[in-house]
Amino acid sequence: MSSIAPAEHTATHGGAGPAPVPAGSRRGLSRGALTMIILVAPSVIVLLLINAYPLVIAALQSVRNGILIVTGEFVGLANYVDVLTSPRFWKAALFTLIFTIVGVFGSWLVGMGLALLLRTKIPGNTLFKVLLMLPWVVPIVVSATAWNWLVATPTSPIPALAAKLGFGELYFLADPTLAAITVCIFKVWVSFPFMMLMTSAALASVDGTVYEAAGIDGATRWQQFTQITLPMISRSTYISWILMTIFCVNDFPTIYLLTGGGPVDATTSLVVLAYRTVFQDLQTGPGVAIAFMMTLVLVVVSTVLYRQIRKVDIA
Amino acid sequence: MTTAEQVAQATVTPKPKLRTTPSREPGTRGQWWRFAAMVVISVIVLVPVFATVLLAIRPSTTSTSTNLLTLENFTNVFANSGVLLWLSNSLGVTLATVIVSVVVAAPAGYVLSRGRSKAVSGYSLLLFVIQSLPVITAVIPLFVLFATIGLADNLLGLVIVYVGSTMSVATWMMAAYFDSIPHALEEAAWVDGCSVFGSFSKIVLRNSLPGILSTAIFAFLVAWNDYLVVLVFIKSSNIFTLPLGLQTFFQQNVTDWGAVMAVSVVMLLPPAIIFAVLNKYFSVGGIGGSLAGR
Repeated sequence: MSSIAPAEHTATHGGAGPAPVPAGSRRGLSRGALTMIILVAPSVIVLLLINAYPLVIAALQSVRNGILIVTGEFVGLANYVDVLTSPRFWKAALFTLIFTIVGVFGSWLVGMGLALLLRTKIPGNTLFKVLLMLPWVVPIVVSATAWNWLVATPTSPIPALAAKLGFGELYFLADPTLAAITVCIFKVWVSFPFMMLMTSAALASVDGTVYEAAGIDGATRWQQFTQITLPMISRSTYISWILMTIFCVNDFPTIYLLTGGGPVDATTSLVVLAYRTVFQDLQTGPGVAIAFMMTLVLVVVSTVLYRQIRKVDIA
Repeated sequence: MTTAEQVAQATVTPKPKLRTTPSREPGTRGQWWRFAAMVVISVIVLVPVFATVLLAIRPSTTSTSTNLLTLENFTNVFANSGVLLWLSNSLGVTLATVIVSVVVAAPAGYVLSRGRSKAVSGYSLLLFVIQSLPVITAVIPLFVLFATIGLADNLLGLVIVYVGSTMSVATWMMAAYFDSIPHALEEAAWVDGCSVFGSFSKIVLRNSLPGILSTAIFAFLVAWNDYLVVLVFIKSSNIFTLPLGLQTFFQQNVTDWGAVMAVSVVMLLPPAIIFAVLNKYFSVGGIGGSLAGR
């Protein structure tokens, strides 16, 4: 609903652009504004129908006890109470938190490390950059299949290798703790190229002469890194953390394709829990309630972060 | 049109300015050590990719072939499974998504780029918020809606959902690219009596091929790599796309890994080809880049 207003508003002020249509021509201005509305209209319609409308319906579904297309009866906040008092929900929330923290900072550390390394003179520099992008380029369905082949059963290559090295029989996807660790590592593997590219781009804008000056002043490599490099790329770092947080919280296939949320819910994140509650346990109300609570939290968080991004200034 | 580099994908081809180490140290010192380290890292990182390709071109365990490498996994899956059907379904859905996304996002991006009112920045914030919402929240109500109007279990329904999920980022990416096109060009055209729409289509759009390509690649990847939406919406095997088709191989007790990996390679090729050919426009950082640039 709310997005209609901005579009109309566009017409009244900004429609015609920064230094727009020849001054004095009122007709030209309003025609320009009308054009702007027409140009933005399809996108507004898509947003309303495919993004805003489902949110409203989700809110309604979450206070009913329906089963998919059966609407069900109004049950008030019972679904929310059910969800918030269930240990499964809190377990999934905890896993989502761990998964997100490891996903964001793991991929950031790996990605930044590689970006820093690739910034130095290395033969075949560009080739490495292209090759290391592959985990991000490969469709998740394909890479999850490959990871499954690598770790799923005790006779798979990696458990077999671990056994030979004396670690005993490891069940990477059947042991709750190991499965959680494996899923997190898989997420880092998928995501680090994104961080690598973001950091590379930011590093490319840092002027090399700064380091020369710092070197002359006797700054060590570590000091140069923490006091020059990190502050200079802080804006980009901040944005990439935000985006990766959103990617991790909303991630479904990385987890579902590797473990299906198991064993014994050890790798069930909130999105996986919502999916299973709706489509496997056929409890639409509680499932949507979970998704809707996530949505509310993300709306608040992303609004605040969006403001922050605008404020953070690049040095 | 080198502006492509600064825009949506500010990330992809950073200018090769490789002076990091203080210049009193020769930059070449230890470069072969770093090279060796990179080789080791790359090999470890790419093990799953190598495994996929190798298993696809090795004779499978049930095969009688004694060759070291073979294409029989591919001939098998093409002859005995629905892989051609899945591939054409996936390609159809993806291409439709790409076209509709670009056609809808480009004009909206123009408004976002040229409009300077509060409403426009409000719209930009709205796009950011929508982009951060879990797909699952939209998917459940849409499934119910589509089930009642016959769009669930329908490839068209899939396209509609994908267009919705590409919309915010696609709009930003187009807006970020349009920002790089000088306003003066349009103003000159307006003085000559050109309409706003005319300047948009004849001047801005015509000079935006790199931006359009980046956006198209983004939409392609969203549609091609999706798993959740297709899992929820598609049930009939005659309209399976590649991700669902691939899963059918796991339903038997014994998995024929050769066949699975052959299908995986089929699924991996389109994005890999795009990445190889259109590397310059490949905007993994598109979201971040366009956000940072605006």
